[in-house]
Amino acid sequence: MDLWLIGELALTGALVGLMYALVAVGIVLVYKTSGVANFAQGAIAMSGGYATWAIAAFLGLPMWVAIPLALVAMFGFGMLVEHAVLRHMVGQPVIMIIMVTFGIEIFLRGFMPGTFGVAVKRLDLGIPQAPMFLGEMLINRAYLVGGAVSAALILAAIVLFNSRAGIVMRAVSDDQGASWSVGIRVERAIAVAWGLAGATATAAGILWGSVQGIDWSLSLLLMKALAIAILGGLDSIPGVLLAGLIVGVCESLATGVIDPLVGGGTRDIVASVIIVLTLLVRPYGLFGREHIERV
Amino acid sequence: MAPPPQSDEIVLACRDVELAFGGLRALKGLGFDIARGEIFGLVGPNGSGKTSMVNVVTGFYRAQSGTVHLFGEDVTRLKPHRIAGRGVARTFQNLALFRGMTVLDNILLGRHVHMRAGALPSLFYWVWALRHEVAHRRAVEELIDFMQLQDIRDEPVEVIPLGLQKRVELARALAADPRLLILDEPMAGMNQEEKEYIARFILDAREERNTTVLLIEHHMDVVTSICDRVMVLSYGESIAQGRPAEAIADPRVVKAYLGERAAARHKGVAA
Repeated sequence: MDLWLIGELALTGALVGLMYALVAVGIVLVYKTSGVANFAQGAIAMSGGYATWAIAAFLGLPMWVAIPLALVAMFGFGMLVEHAVLRHMVGQPVIMIIMVTFGIEIFLRGFMPGTFGVAVKRLDLGIPQAPMFLGEMLINRAYLVGGAVSAALILAAIVLFNSRAGIVMRAVSDDQGASWSVGIRVERAIAVAWGLAGATATAAGILWGSVQGIDWSLSLLLMKALAIAILGGLDSIPGVLLAGLIVGVCESLATGVIDPLVGGGTRDIVASVIIVLTLLVRPYGLFGREHIERV
Repeated sequence: MAPPPQSDEIVLACRDVELAFGGLRALKGLGFDIARGEIFGLVGPNGSGKTSMVNVVTGFYRAQSGTVHLFGEDVTRLKPHRIAGRGVARTFQNLALFRGMTVLDNILLGRHVHMRAGALPSLFYWVWALRHEVAHRRAVEELIDFMQLQDIRDEPVEVIPLGLQKRVELARALAADPRLLILDEPMAGMNQEEKEYIARFILDAREERNTTVLLIEHHMDVVTSICDRVMVLSYGESIAQGRPAEAIADPRVVKAYLGERAAARHKGVAA
């Protein structure tokens, strides 16, 4: 096994990992503001892909118009999910909230292909098919663009969270009563977090859709996103960035190095192994807040 | 029934406030006024409706009937953040701090009502947001000095002792420069010295910041020494209002606290 191949696997893995991480950002945003585990994020990413395709196909709009429209529409969709469902779940046990978000995930997985047809939809962003050579490494241009866009969006999210708006979101997640008492509009902060989750998921859905086409399997991004969110620490966006790189690189190396030995199939277990190991060894993740309890 | 007074000398006017949780009537037609600059005590046995009353005033609970007027404006149906925006700050019986943050950040969030920089300005107008931030920080630093929290300003609130946590919560409420400050048992679980500290802070807040105070407190020595007037609640009803010493001596109040037989004995002793 030569170093160029390892390098190629690692670099591709890192780019793919960034694209996974973009899905995870929405899980962290929602958890950070409302303490709700958002298990619908995979299907929201898929729906974002469908929405972009539908806007372009049915309205005959070029991609550079369809994409912003889809982002806005899915921002609205995220807020709608919060308004129509999650707001009524305040004070319910965590398991109920997980079930309800997972229910939305399953519903969308059926609803979107049911509405637009099960055939894979092509989403052409105009990225050249020919791979790029870095030394002897072959890099897929779609991953290169996807990774770069994802990294930029995640960095933007980090900046947002270090601003005043981020402090308000942290306050809301810490204590809603206290937030109200200092004049924070708690409901709006949570709705905006869901809106941003919808928009970032859509960006991820578009990038992944351009790589593998759009069908229900895009929603399987949920597994990778959950692994990244948990490894990163659930309430840390820098954690998402690092965990995304780790998960992406591990997956890619496992596929390239272990698959030939065992006959394939390791790609999909990497994420689950990471989830289990994180929860066993370091439940609050790499950057998560470890609550200090005084006994 | 008297109409709510229009004078802006009346900070808070409640009329016929009714609140029920299912079949339990928590507040049975309560009414009272608080004048500007007053320290008004709300006392009564556990479960008598003190905190419920405060939650109605601050918009956390919505009364089934009755009205709440703040500075002459009807605020009965307003949400908590709107009430906070009108100059009402509060603390909580069971302490509600932003647990993941430092003492300084907690107090800084108390100034939220004065911060108009939303997400966009803070992203695009760094300088503009920064200048405001400096002004807010100055206000908060003054408060940290006032409340003597200098030594722990950068500590996470989770790790400091309960007495100091309560003081931080009070500082956060004062950071809003409130016109009406509502304190729900600010001295619960404190020793004599800590109680005296808090009492001093409350009196100073009134002197130096012209704050009107609504105080829920169980320690009768504190109530009689710092409150101008009190209202005594029992089972959601007002059983006495007036000067602390007189209200507390009222036979109905003694009965509510001690029970009928003990009250009779108390009367016998007094006579």
